[in-house]
Amino acid sequence: MKAAAFEYLRAASCDEAVAALAGEDTAVLAGGQSLVPLLNMRLARPRLVVDINRLADLSYLRRDNGNVVIGALTRHRAAETSAMVATDLPLLAAALRYVGHVSTRNRGTVGGSLAHADPSAELPTVAVALDASIRVQGSHGVRDIAAPDFFVGPHETALAPGELLVSVSFPVVPGAVSVQELPFRGCDLVVVAAVAVEDGICAQARIAVGGAGPTPIRASAVEEALIGRPVTDAVIAAAVAEFTCDPPDSLHAPASYRREMASVLTRRAIGTAVHT
Amino acid sequence: MKVSLTVNGEEVSASCEPRRTLADFLRHDLGYTGVHVGCEHGACGSCTVSVDGATARSCCMLAVQAEGCTVTTIEGLASSGELDPLQESFREHHGLQCGFCTPGMLATAHELLRDNPDPTDSEIRAAISGNLCRCTGYQFIVDAIKGAIRPPHDGQQRDGVVEPGAAASSRRK
Amino acid sequence: MDVGGLIGARVSRVEDVRLLTGRARFVDDVREPGMLEAAILRSPVPHARIVSVDVSKAAALPGVSAVVTGAEVKAAVRGPQPVTWQVIPDMFHPRTYALAVDKVTYPGQGIAAVAAKNRAVAEDALELIDVRYEELPAVSTLEQALAEDAPRLFDEWPSNVLGRTAVRTGDAAAAFAEADVVLSAEFRFPRQMGTPLETRGVVATWDPFTDRLDVWLTTQAPNIAQAAFAEVLGLPVGRIRVRTPDLGGGFGNKFDFYGDEVVACVLSRRTGKPVKLIEDRAESFVATVHSREQKVDIEVAARADGTITGMRGTVYGVLGGALGTAGLSPCWVTAASVTGPYDIAALDMNLVGVATNRTPYGSFRGYGLPKANFVHEHMVELLAKRLGMPAHDIRRRNFIKQFPHQSPVFVFDSGRYEECLDLCLAAVRDAGWERIRQDARARGAAVGIGYSFQNEVTGLGPSRIQTFAGSSHSGFDEEVVRIDSTGHVTVYTGLSAMGQGIHTALAQVAAHTLGVPLDHVTVLSGDTDSSPYSGYGTGASRGAPLGGAAVRTAATRLKAKVLRIAGHILEAAPEDLVITDGVIAVRGVPGRTVTMADIGDAAYRRLGGRLPEDETPTLEEREVYDPVNVATAFGCTAVLAEVDRETGVVTLLGYLIAHDCGTVINPMIVDGQLHGGAAQAIGGALSEELVYDADGRMRTRTFADYLLPSAAEVPPVAISHMATPADHVPGGFKGMGESGVIGGGAAIVNAIVDALPEYDLEITALPITPPRLLALMRKGTGR
Repeated sequence: MKAAAFEYLRAASCDEAVAALAGEDTAVLAGGQSLVPLLNMRLARPRLVVDINRLADLSYLRRDNGNVVIGALTRHRAAETSAMVATDLPLLAAALRYVGHVSTRNRGTVGGSLAHADPSAELPTVAVALDASIRVQGSHGVRDIAAPDFFVGPHETALAPGELLVSVSFPVVPGAVSVQELPFRGCDLVVVAAVAVEDGICAQARIAVGGAGPTPIRASAVEEALIGRPVTDAVIAAAVAEFTCDPPDSLHAPASYRREMASVLTRRAIGTAVHT
Repeated sequence: MKVSLTVNGEEVSASCEPRRTLADFLRHDLGYTGVHVGCEHGACGSCTVSVDGATARSCCMLAVQAEGCTVTTIEGLASSGELDPLQESFREHHGLQCGFCTPGMLATAHELLRDNPDPTDSEIRAAISGNLCRCTGYQFIVDAIKGAIRPPHDGQQRDGVVEPGAAASSRRK
Repeated sequence: MDVGGLIGARVSRVEDVRLLTGRARFVDDVREPGMLEAAILRSPVPHARIVSVDVSKAAALPGVSAVVTGAEVKAAVRGPQPVTWQVIPDMFHPRTYALAVDKVTYPGQGIAAVAAKNRAVAEDALELIDVRYEELPAVSTLEQALAEDAPRLFDEWPSNVLGRTAVRTGDAAAAFAEADVVLSAEFRFPRQMGTPLETRGVVATWDPFTDRLDVWLTTQAPNIAQAAFAEVLGLPVGRIRVRTPDLGGGFGNKFDFYGDEVVACVLSRRTGKPVKLIEDRAESFVATVHSREQKVDIEVAARADGTITGMRGTVYGVLGGALGTAGLSPCWVTAASVTGPYDIAALDMNLVGVATNRTPYGSFRGYGLPKANFVHEHMVELLAKRLGMPAHDIRRRNFIKQFPHQSPVFVFDSGRYEECLDLCLAAVRDAGWERIRQDARARGAAVGIGYSFQNEVTGLGPSRIQTFAGSSHSGFDEEVVRIDSTGHVTVYTGLSAMGQGIHTALAQVAAHTLGVPLDHVTVLSGDTDSSPYSGYGTGASRGAPLGGAAVRTAATRLKAKVLRIAGHILEAAPEDLVITDGVIAVRGVPGRTVTMADIGDAAYRRLGGRLPEDETPTLEEREVYDPVNVATAFGCTAVLAEVDRETGVVTLLGYLIAHDCGTVINPMIVDGQLHGGAAQAIGGALSEELVYDADGRMRTRTFADYLLPSAAEVPPVAISHMATPADHVPGGFKGMGESGVIGGGAAIVNAIVDALPEYDLEITALPITPPRLLALMRKGTGR
């Protein structure tokens, strides 16, 4: 279980990284928590690994006009323990606690999780729920991609060859939050919800389900069925009934179970959020 | 490529291919065989070391990434010939059997107690849930970490529903 | 029985400091001069003819020293891989070699191997080997293997059924004919494995000039490995040295002898250099033996008062595409032990060994016992439900009460089963579980309590039983106790230290017996050049009852010699002397003392006048212990579990074991062993499964696929001890290394059933994952 040989570039600047990524068969090494195991298993075999860990200017958290902008190289653990994330992006803070373990969050990066585009991963699901904007840099300059457009399929993104994910901008949304997963690793689903309730009426809802399809799914029909209605159990149940998905079998859970659990977890996420 | 770093307070360097993981580099190129490799895919936690003050799975880092870093392995925990309090507590509470997961457990437990000096049992269990142990069933590891809390706690305190295994073992002859 | 002293003391382990400071030496830490590293190319397909293997590109890769194919390995060895256990003499035992020769019979079977300057280059070379397979239909499941028109795995045998036998006692037909109640059930147990955190490994040096083989090997049974090397490679045993480094867990998986170690030897011979071969985690899921997979059909005959009068049925052992060294024996143990702790007069169990295109079947902690326990504890609960009686009443009514007891195969030496059940119930009461369950139910939560009772044959074993049961290895153990010229003690053992604390346990026995401080005792193991001979190695829960007993006896004899010498020096009768903390004193005469160091000096260095003339110099005793019987441990497990009715997720809230392993040497170690076994039972009951896909390929490749329990899933565990010594074992010790894993599955499942009374669940297949439990609940609702 040793990686195939590759060349290695420790990029000293974004421009250098982007220039290197323009070549054939390249891979970006950020936190390495997904890439290095894939290299070890020879499931990823790039010609060139571009290490962006020394690009200190990609590691930051800042407020910007009703958004929180997070540099791609910001470690999960830094975001998780950030007071700004705790107050402005409680959904992200809650989701981060489900990402791996402290030792993986110490290394793993916000940008890396997004670029890896695991459909059942927490950060892509939060990005879809919040309609985050993902900024990528290429030889052409920078462009912003809305999260729903960024995730194209399992481990597939809208990143063009030669582009580097440099930051993500999460809008600050009101409401209480909940992240739900089953304590059964074979299920591989995550539901994230941010629900704002005013005078017993749902004012805003952001809900997404990870693992139930090729990319995280924004539960728009559920949100619509909630907004403007009193958040009673019956309304929540009716709203969740609007959710449809077509998840694949996983090794330890058939599609039918995973589909059903997506609904259960969605209902629990909403219920937990509104009762917080 | 040549990689220079500080391991357990000592400046060391060696050459390796870019594909060499930090775990293999520490073990085979630098001789820190206290770093154990259990899965090479970041799932078991045995290879956990401290890199610049934060735990990291050394199988999920390339050695070349560690250029200039400060690394602490299990060999660096006991200074001046004395076990540190956590090592001592693992011994006292039988927090290890084969010892293969122990280096990673100790690294993780050190970080936990640094960041949360008075964890509950469930916080301890959550903190070590990324470190697999196939021998102990975890109970005595939890007891050992609990036992290393300063100031010392009553070892019998536990937030589970069962009385402690160690102290509560009843005997009948 | 010993009271006080070091036997029974909760002392910290002598193994710990090295392990805690990174000073231990595991196999991958071994680095011999000029050493090469190897890797094995493994078949991705389950069943195929090998049309051709072209290694030319691999051999030409810079850094590669040698490449060998299956045919070359076969030509280089004397014979096929051994099958140590042949429980059915007329069973078909296919001759298989370390690498596949012309046919692949399971995914993961080795095809070719490379030795190179390092593992990465060796893996590069594997990618350059061109293998052409002619795929054959996969026979991946029991049903496929038994089908009328099933493709056959072995051209030279007309069926995939490799052998049949039966375990019988009493008149089962009469028992069933006269029964008031007959119950039946069908059980399916999945493929699981031990997954020690350290994978298997070997460093082999087979020097072509001296023709001496020097092997570092992760083995629980060094003498069996040594014999296997001799048999396969055609070398005299005396030219083979097997050294065992620190083992990162074994759990039976490192008991068996693998083709991989033979491949490393052949590569070493070929290159003239030491060769290291370390299995990586991904390949471990196909290259290390699998266990547990069985189908068990069972019928129970009982009287209306709850007396079980007979059991009959069939155990199907779902074997792999080759036989491991354990052969069919784990499945035979299931059949032989299916009556458990109950006095059941009639048994008629068939045993069928069936080959499939899966990894060979082998040893895993508990061997056949977890399945047998699950079966009898399920049937006890079923009978209780049928008769409307409490399950514990059924247990009590049927418990074996008179000892020794002749079970269908083994003689159980001793037991106090009702007291052990009571001890467990008392622990449950003290923990307040009834109230927790009541409160949970009041708020609508599904919380249940489940039990299982187990007994277990430990301390294998009498060599006559081993030979009778088809083992090509004996069951005795040899230990040596030596006092050196400084008065310190060294214990030499052929058992392997793999985390179970055997060095501490044997040191405690020696120190206790000799009357010396614990830190004056060193235990050495792990080198066949200097270690005594262990007939069966470290398995079958035999370290304490065999090794402990042998040390006890050897140390007792040695103590007598010490006292004779001391008596000579002190001019006192040996029977008037006492040894305390390494000082020999004349009882009742203060100041008349001599130290163990003085005795050592008198026996090795300054003999004149101090060593009695009829004594030989040196202080060493050797005991070869072959027990007259096995030693039967027993225990009761109680589990408190909560079920999420909506998701099927089971959360364990508490876990209690009442256990009796005779005289306890170190209760802390015993507790640790039980805790660890319990965690393996939890994984086995709830999440662990090796999964093959519909095409017969292995899907389980990582720890994200094989779901070991983490600290978050294992509840607090507590142990209650009682001690019924094995009177026939010096010291009274019984084994318990496997105990924790045996009863867990049944107790967990019974707790789940108890948590969901409204569903009338019958859980007969493991692991009971959330999707499966939910599906069963739905089925139950529909009934």
